Amino acid sequence: MVKVTYIAADGTETIVDAREGDNVMQTALDNDVDGIVGECGGAMMCATCHCYVDEDWRDQTGARQAGEDDMLECAADEVKPSSRLSCQIRLTHAVDGLVVHLPRDQV
Amino acid sequence: MPLAPVNTDVGIEQLTRDPYPIYRQMRRDTPVVRVEGVKRTFLTKAAHTRHVKDTPELFSSNDPNTPMQPAFRAHTLMRKDGTEHRRERMAMQMAYTPKVIKTNWAQIYRDITDDYLSRLKKGDTVDLFREICGPVSARILVHILGLDGATDEQMMRWSQELIDGAGNFGWDPELFRITDRANDEMDAHFGRLIGYHKANPNASALSLMVNAEDPIPDSQIYANMKIAIGGGINEPRDAMATIIYGLLTNPEQLEEVRRQDAWGMAFEEGVRWVAPIQLSSRLVLEDTEIGGFDIPKGDTVMTIQASANRDEDLFEDGENYVVFRDKNPHQAFGSGPHHCAGAHIARRTVGEIMIPTLFERFPNMSLPDPEAVRWRGFGFRGPVNLPVTLN
Repeated sequence: MVKVTYIAADGTETIVDAREGDNVMQTALDNDVDGIVGECGGAMMCATCHCYVDEDWRDQTGARQAGEDDMLECAADEVKPSSRLSCQIRLTHAVDGLVVHLPRDQV
Repeated sequence: MPLAPVNTDVGIEQLTRDPYPIYRQMRRDTPVVRVEGVKRTFLTKAAHTRHVKDTPELFSSNDPNTPMQPAFRAHTLMRKDGTEHRRERMAMQMAYTPKVIKTNWAQIYRDITDDYLSRLKKGDTVDLFREICGPVSARILVHILGLDGATDEQMMRWSQELIDGAGNFGWDPELFRITDRANDEMDAHFGRLIGYHKANPNASALSLMVNAEDPIPDSQIYANMKIAIGGGINEPRDAMATIIYGLLTNPEQLEEVRRQDAWGMAFEEGVRWVAPIQLSSRLVLEDTEIGGFDIPKGDTVMTIQASANRDEDLFEDGENYVVFRDKNPHQAFGSGPHHCAGAHIARRTVGEIMIPTLFERFPNMSLPDPEAVRWRGFGFRGPVNLPVTLN
């Protein structure tokens, strides 16, 4: 299991035990975490799973995937250096304890 | 495993009239079923439609034997997979972002909506479908695409003719003669505008594509424009008409939507309830299995999003328009690589501008005879008239 903390725009924290190998978007959907829509199912085509990786976790989550920059341009909320599409962040032991912040708007 | 059962009763005519009772029965009794009258395997459960859309390596969009190719005179991105699809899609996607809409277009869209609404008089009974839903969608799309000079009538006719041609599974030559003429007109119009957009780069889709550093071929720029015309008028038009109908026939919900300013939720529920694009087809690339049935390679499966959106596994009271749902995980915009490129635009134009502006302008409008509203469509669905008394 890999622990992930989702912090909503209003500050609400949800801590989830995720399956290793899953991604941050799917884990949110499977655990009823509000604030992530993930409408395209992880195909990097909708930008509705936008999240901000907590500063303490940016090194461990690595750089954006090819094509992610372009799709982030389509995000509904402000894009920051810490912005990622959560469908592209895979949960491995290296990110056990990961904290992500959710934007106010996804659509 | 057995092959899917075969249904020989249901035909396109029935599905066009009212597919929902049929889908409801299919979800209950035969969620995976070969429908002889349509020559497709229907998938009516949300988990199955989503699985197919999210697994493009097994369920391909690249089906060369559809009428779309002659209707659009192009192999369009709708019928491509993988990197080729992504490249053509991303060539225009930046014109459809929330940011571009907010900074470049939102005020123009408000002005367009106001302009068309100001032509209507309080006290009159008018067909909003014909007077507002279609023309406002067309006018807005002219701006998004950079098709300056095209009239509402042209845009609506091109859109309808492309759609009719793409659905011409009977391969009627007359329908392709009509799409040929529409293609000639569109090609000429695009051609006349390319010089202008090169000289005056702007945020429209055509400008973005012709001014790109590494542009896609002209043939695919034209194909993308036609896909956007085919997909950018009837769908917002039908979504808008459906939502107005839903709100006017549920006045207590309309009241609450107003109170909470929940137009976005009213929009989501409208496209869930009657998805403007009801279904999609995918070609099966390898022998596989869905819901306990063998699905052979070469079969074409039809994902019925319209039915997935009312699936009892996900939605309580799914047959009715119910704005205030805890969750609304509908598939009206599809899923996977072909997730609707215009989803953000639709939410912002129809949901945030067109619908609230209409209800603000005519706060007491009513639908005197809901029975007079006729609904039609199998592949694409919505009301075809909406006689509303304005007040």
